[in-house]
Amino acid sequence: MTINLLFFGACREAANGAPEMKLAVTPPIDVQTVWQSLVAEHPALGRFNQSILFAVNEEYARPGQILADGDTLAIFPPVSGG
Amino acid sequence: MEQSARKEDPIDRDIFEVTRETIDKQDLEARILTGAAGAIVTFDGVVRNQTKGRPVLSLSYEAYPGMAVKEMQRIGREIREKWPQIAGIGMIHRFGEMQISESSIVIVITSPHRKAAFEACQYAIDTLKKTVPIWKKEIFADGEEWVEGSRPSSD
Repeated sequence: MTINLLFFGACREAANGAPEMKLAVTPPIDVQTVWQSLVAEHPALGRFNQSILFAVNEEYARPGQILADGDTLAIFPPVSGG
Repeated sequence: MEQSARKEDPIDRDIFEVTRETIDKQDLEARILTGAAGAIVTFDGVVRNQTKGRPVLSLSYEAYPGMAVKEMQRIGREIREKWPQIAGIGMIHRFGEMQISESSIVIVITSPHRKAAFEACQYAIDTLKKTVPIWKKEIFADGEEWVEGSRPSSD
């Protein structure tokens, strides 16, 4: 199945700048597993291990959330708007 | 008609937006203000010229627009639960590049009496800074740095 990945803020830069990509994954798979594979691919993401936040289809998601085909997984550091 | 049979929810008139454009504060106040209001509290967050003594030239905000609006709507629902007397809620967060003293966020709360409006406005900005997916980067004379937010404690 395929999921859409979005990166924001400092995470986007650590993941080499592409804000958006498609990723082919084998189900069942959870958010945390995708994150770990991204850290393996882009070691600069590792420094966000303790602080990283996830959203699936524009709702905050826990690391254990199982992903479905076509889901949009957003990956970002703690927010700093205002 | 289905539409007229539907009970009107005050939150439907509230405003939650992200924009690249300059925020028109007076226009937002005018859109939110109704005759029921006796108080209008506006929070206007503007770009500061320094961080811990280091001069800031400008700020660059990045947003996840769809989710940012959803999280702002969530704050609006929470406000209406906590302060049911609130008359109107408006929140506009700008993203992109901003110069010193430009507004990055404007929040407008109206209510029949001032206390609820002050409290709700404070709650709105405090919560927005923890939950709404927007990130700021400070541009200094000699480089730029993302501002690290703190992780929401409820997670």
